[in-house]
Amino acid sequence: RLSHQWSTKDVRHQVAQIVADEVAAANVELDIKIFPSKSLFKPREQYRPLSRGQLDMTVFPLSYAGGQQPSFNLTLMPGLVKNHDHAARLSSSPFMAALQEKMAEDDVMVLVHGYLAGGFVGKEKCITSPSDVAGLQTRAAGKSFEQMLVGAGASIASMASSEIYSAMQTGVLDAANTSSASFVSYRIFEQVACYTPASDIALWFLYQPLLMNKSTFEGLSEEQKSALLKAAAKAESYYLEEAKKQDAASVKVFQEAGVEIAEMTTEDFAAWQAIAQETSYKNFVESVPNGQALLTMALAVK
Amino acid sequence: MNIARDQKQILLIGFQNTTNWLSEVSGRIASLMILGAVLLTCQMIFVRFVLNASTVWQTEIVVYLMVGATLLGLAFVQKHKGHVNVDLLPIWLNYRSARILAIFTGLTAITVTAVCLFYGFEFWHLVHKRGWTSDTVTAVPLWIPYLSLPIGLGLLLLQLIADWLETLLQQISKAGM
Amino acid sequence: MDPLSLGLVIGIITILVLFSGISVAIGLLTVSAIFLFIFDGVRSLELIPEILFGKLDSFALLSIPMFIIMGASISSTRAGADLYEALERWLTRVPGGLVISNLGACALFAAMSGSSPATCAAIGKMGIPEMRKRGYPDEIATGSIAAGGTLGILIPPSITMIVYGIATETSIGRLFLAGVVPGFLLMGLFMAWSIYATWAAGGRSAMPQTSYSWRERLEILPRVLPFIAIILGVLYTMYGGVATPSETAAVGALLCLIVAMIIYRLTSFSALWNVLRDSTKESVMILFIIAAAGVFSYMLSSLYITQSIAEWISDLDVNRWTLMIAINVFLIIAGFFLPPVAVILMTAPILLPVITGAGFDPIWFAVVLTINMEIGLISPPVGLNLYVINGIAPDISLRTILVGSLPFVACMLIAIALLCLFPSLATWLPDAVMGQAL
Ligand code: NA
Ligand code: NA
Repeated sequence: RLSHQWSTKDVRHQVAQIVADEVAAANVELDIKIFPSKSLFKPREQYRPLSRGQLDMTVFPLSYAGGQQPSFNLTLMPGLVKNHDHAARLSSSPFMAALQEKMAEDDVMVLVHGYLAGGFVGKEKCITSPSDVAGLQTRAAGKSFEQMLVGAGASIASMASSEIYSAMQTGVLDAANTSSASFVSYRIFEQVACYTPASDIALWFLYQPLLMNKSTFEGLSEEQKSALLKAAAKAESYYLEEAKKQDAASVKVFQEAGVEIAEMTTEDFAAWQAIAQETSYKNFVESVPNGQALLTMALAVK
Repeated sequence: MNIARDQKQILLIGFQNTTNWLSEVSGRIASLMILGAVLLTCQMIFVRFVLNASTVWQTEIVVYLMVGATLLGLAFVQKHKGHVNVDLLPIWLNYRSARILAIFTGLTAITVTAVCLFYGFEFWHLVHKRGWTSDTVTAVPLWIPYLSLPIGLGLLLLQLIADWLETLLQQISKAGM
Repeated sequence: MDPLSLGLVIGIITILVLFSGISVAIGLLTVSAIFLFIFDGVRSLELIPEILFGKLDSFALLSIPMFIIMGASISSTRAGADLYEALERWLTRVPGGLVISNLGACALFAAMSGSSPATCAAIGKMGIPEMRKRGYPDEIATGSIAAGGTLGILIPPSITMIVYGIATETSIGRLFLAGVVPGFLLMGLFMAWSIYATWAAGGRSAMPQTSYSWRERLEILPRVLPFIAIILGVLYTMYGGVATPSETAAVGALLCLIVAMIIYRLTSFSALWNVLRDSTKESVMILFIIAAAGVFSYMLSSLYITQSIAEWISDLDVNRWTLMIAINVFLIIAGFFLPPVAVILMTAPILLPVITGAGFDPIWFAVVLTINMEIGLISPPVGLNLYVINGIAPDISLRTILVGSLPFVACMLIAIALLCLFPSLATWLPDAVMGQAL
């Protein structure tokens, strides 16, 4: 049983579908049943059933489980990942190996690595540098981003991503940050003046791997395991290619809606990162035992 | 013989009174939590709309107040027979069968609530032991909101047992006459 | 057993368990626990408390108790009587003026209360005795209020719309707006029938005997102002950029409490406590059903029944209107027996993919679904509004109330038919205010 929160059109569903199809084609008596659109568990409530074996697999933003394993908060840290190729290098680094050790404590393993990027939207103006958000009511995805934005002088309003659209429309919100896919699926382009997408450099990257219960995997026969791993490898390269296409596709949708497209300069990026150093990075290191070592490992990946 | 029976009676009445009192108290706490949620939400809107400042922690606390109020209020609502039900079968049956059915459904409710309470306590215990927090800036220690699971379900169980004993005793006294 | 037959078995057992007199929430938990235990093993029971908690762990649900407090605080004052009295002084020349005033008051009150029984009670407490005193037949006096009260869940705010919005992830702001035009359409139909029935019953005595001077008419207007202020305040908060729809409810609750305390002098601690206690009771009851229905739908999904039924219906390949009629019949029957919230939560996950797959608008469907639920509220064997009226006027038999309500059920069926013919009745306002649908 595989559960995730997205619709069947989403790239993350496709990743799950590839694994299910490939395994079925391998004919190893392994049938993966996908429960999309949170039809089984609520998004944030998938990790614990997974770790207890009540759920076998999930496509899951790992930072959701940051309250259970604080080190997972590093998988949604501003400026830690620069672009998709960098993300791929990060996935195969000692940093990710350290995180996988943490997952193993919960009887969880990674089948398919993958990062998705996101950007900023502004109702009235473009959000590129930290000074742009000062005084704006902003909705951020993830606590490390909230901390950084507060550091930049923004006011944080917390709400579900499904409420962004109407909050932008009525003027409750001035700015928001989330994934490229969510911007498109919630049709945020209808309500904003400017979009700052992920391009050569981007602040917002979220690690959303396909996870599996480790004991369940180890209980499989050798053929089943190898079929699963082969399927996972195929899905992983698809995931990376699609992740890159998503950003470009979102830009096209916003452009067609007549929204201005802005770009972050290297200086902007450095300015954001400087704020993040003082806020979210600092907070992470202080609140997580062994946090500095993990952060150093992540920053060491070039 | 008689004295033993009297003692049982006293114990029973004591149990029922205590349970009723607990349910009333938890009902009051639940009401105050709902009122707190109203005021806190208004405070949040004020801070955001009038002061244009950050409102990071309010939604989360409001939600926990609501969840807590619901779970703590279960026993109170049970005491006042406020949980809506569909009594088609009891109406259709004759008096005697309806009483027996009531005893049976009461027992079912007790069993199911006891199962929920057992796993609810286990879950709360795990959350407490592992020190889980919410994945937000506030990082609320989750054992606090989750405490409403064992407490709320526990109080509901007590109230269900008290109500069930009441039905049972009525049935026995009717049968005795 | 294949999922479809298993679904049938679960359906039958659920009905039997719910009819046994066990509370709806615990009944749903019982059925879920039994089938999870049988098919997913004892360890799956571990998940029940987590799902219970998880279902409640949602900010959008906050608006349910808030909208209940709004209705409860206002209905604990004499505001309802003020409302219909004001309307009546202006409508004396209309035949059946008093019943028209009462229906109008129901519609206005519905704009402040999210629940139907609350609307019923608020207007009926004063309205029913007054109508009987003036010689209206018992059937009309009670039936009109029972039916008028159901507007509580159609005219925004509405608890059933919130629950639908959460279950199907549709915009609650949009759903609220969709209920406005059909709500007033229904009010118009109710009024038309009441006028005709009063007239047909030879209601000469029900005709106005008192006439009001202009002075008396103007004098009462200030008493309606608090209502207007609350409704405008809530509308401004929701659509004026002050707060999201879920947050708006809290503003409404606070406004109503303040209005009740200051204008209607509801200042004694025990009176306020009663408002809060009654709101808590109703909210907890509804929220517990929501949580338990969450466990129930987890069980259905986990046993792959939801998915199989949805697939089965879409494979039937019937005409979309045949499908819509079948769904309506099913909903009306479900509404006969079960409270609206339970029906919506149990059916929405299955019906929504079918509805959208057949090309129907989910916002429009929410309105049709709500009117179906309104029918359930005034029909036997479990009609919440009938009981409320019975509580207000204990000397009128339930049968009389029921007979009085039946023509209004026909009005609701007409409204559903009109909505099917002219879907824009529901979709026009949300589109006009919030832009084209997503
Ligand atoms: Na309403
Ligand atoms: Na009914």
